[in-house]
Amino acid sequence: MIEFRNIHKAFGENKVLKGINCTIPTGSVTVIVGPSGSGKTTLLRSVNFLERADSGEIILDDIHLDVEKATKADIHKIRQRTAMVFQTYNLFKNKTALENIMEGLAIVRKVPKAAAKEKALHFLEKVGLGHKAAAYPHELSGGQQQRIGIARALALNPDVILFDEPTSALDPELVGEVLEVMKKVTQEVNCTLVVVTHEIAFAREVADHVIFMDGGVIVEQGPPQEILNHPKEDRTKQFLSRYISLVEYNI
Amino acid sequence: MSNILEFSFMWDTFIHLLQFIPVTLFLAIISMILASIIGLASAIVQLRNIPILKQIATVYLLIGRAVPTMVMLYIVYFGLPILLLVFTDKTGIDTGYQHIPPMVFAIAGLTVHTGAYLTEIFRAAILSIDKGQMEAALSVGMTWFQGFYRIIFRQAALVAIPLLANQFLGLIKSTSIVFTITVIELLGGAKIASVETYRYLETYLVVAIMYWSISIIFEKLFLLAEQKLGIFKKEANI
Ligand SMILES: Nc1ncnc2c1ncn2[C@@H]1O[C@H](COP(=O)(O)OP(=O)(O)OP(=O)(O)O)[C@@H](O)[C@H]1O
Ligand SMILES: [Mg+2]
Repeated sequence: MIEFRNIHKAFGENKVLKGINCTIPTGSVTVIVGPSGSGKTTLLRSVNFLERADSGEIILDDIHLDVEKATKADIHKIRQRTAMVFQTYNLFKNKTALENIMEGLAIVRKVPKAAAKEKALHFLEKVGLGHKAAAYPHELSGGQQQRIGIARALALNPDVILFDEPTSALDPELVGEVLEVMKKVTQEVNCTLVVVTHEIAFAREVADHVIFMDGGVIVEQGPPQEILNHPKEDRTKQFLSRYISLVEYNI
Repeated sequence: MSNILEFSFMWDTFIHLLQFIPVTLFLAIISMILASIIGLASAIVQLRNIPILKQIATVYLLIGRAVPTMVMLYIVYFGLPILLLVFTDKTGIDTGYQHIPPMVFAIAGLTVHTGAYLTEIFRAAILSIDKGQMEAALSVGMTWFQGFYRIIFRQAALVAIPLLANQFLGLIKSTSIVFTITVIELLGGAKIASVETYRYLETYLVVAIMYWSISIIFEKLFLLAEQKLGIFKKEANI
């Protein structure tokens, strides 16, 4: 379970998060949608402290942090229990596909090298890239890189995986393969998945819970049928109308 | 004198001067290693914005790059003993500064000078690495140090190598000025030899060839290191 309590964050004068309160249940697939600049990425990154919120509380199961008082050790602990999939993949450029996955296992989790390698290969095969184990990131397509990014996160067996627009940087023809892998992940793993995405169809299919953000607040949240098909708030309707034809969401 | 250039004399000089090459290399390599440590440390201090240390690094950079190497060498050579003398006077701890070989001052002077340039090289190299790399390292649970050492540094080192090579070749040449503080290296040895024989041109030609050969060897070594470290790197496509 992740819980946000009254999270605030500003970049200078720009108030980006204006009191976020919500609970994401353990094992759920939660999709965060909202217009550009609404603070989705900032919220996601505040969980693993890549962005440190100004005030509020972040609760991850037994870890209960007041963000203002969180120490280096607290932050390290929360990072060991989470993993992230980035919009721009961020694979370690000096490591092969296999080493990218092994790195966290061997260095952070202290898994013996042989076991780490075996586990890394297993996850590489899971995303359909067993044959690319020895390839460096620059030798792989965006879609392949992102699938390895997902494998890297999965291999750590974290409590939570944070996805920040995992398909937004991809060429349209590569989006499908990554969404396919993500669907498989949502069915097979039982860690909590938080996904920021503009793929409304994907959200409708796999989400247990949808959060709509705008202007640094959560405008509404609930099951996907409710938020995506029968939104109550005007801002949500307006946002969705850009993605779905009116006919579709009246059904 | 029958010939302008007496080749057999040049050969003898070459053999004679070979004994000074280790001194030149020792000076250059040790100074380079120490300067790399200082340069990397002050680059990190600057990039991480660590208070006080950052100000010290800034002053160091200003001085290190503005003062000619030879002046730096003199300041260290004449200044450090005085500093140590005062230290001994004040604390009663004997530093034995009278017995410090000039080689130590030579290395200190060259290190201070080179370190300032290496700071800039490392700073630029680290800055050239996408910040997503560190974020990814932190996101899998690495500490900042693990991320820096395992991911950032290794990528930055590759960017830095050609610039480090340049700096090192410059440093090899700079070692020739330590003669002025009584350390006898390649050029010093040549000066002494030429005074004995009056064959200046031949001697300095031999010295030039020797510096040139050393440079070529190291250039190749750096290139090799770059290729070896750079297996993960995309070929340039210009
Ligand atoms: N590091 C930063 N420094 C300053 N401002 C920032 C920083 N990161 C984000 N912002 C600002 O915070 C606001 C929210 O950004 P954020 O990236 O969280 O939005 P988002 O909902 O993820 O948008 P998008 O859909 O475009 O990714 C934006 O106005 C952005 O300019
Ligand atoms: Mg974003």
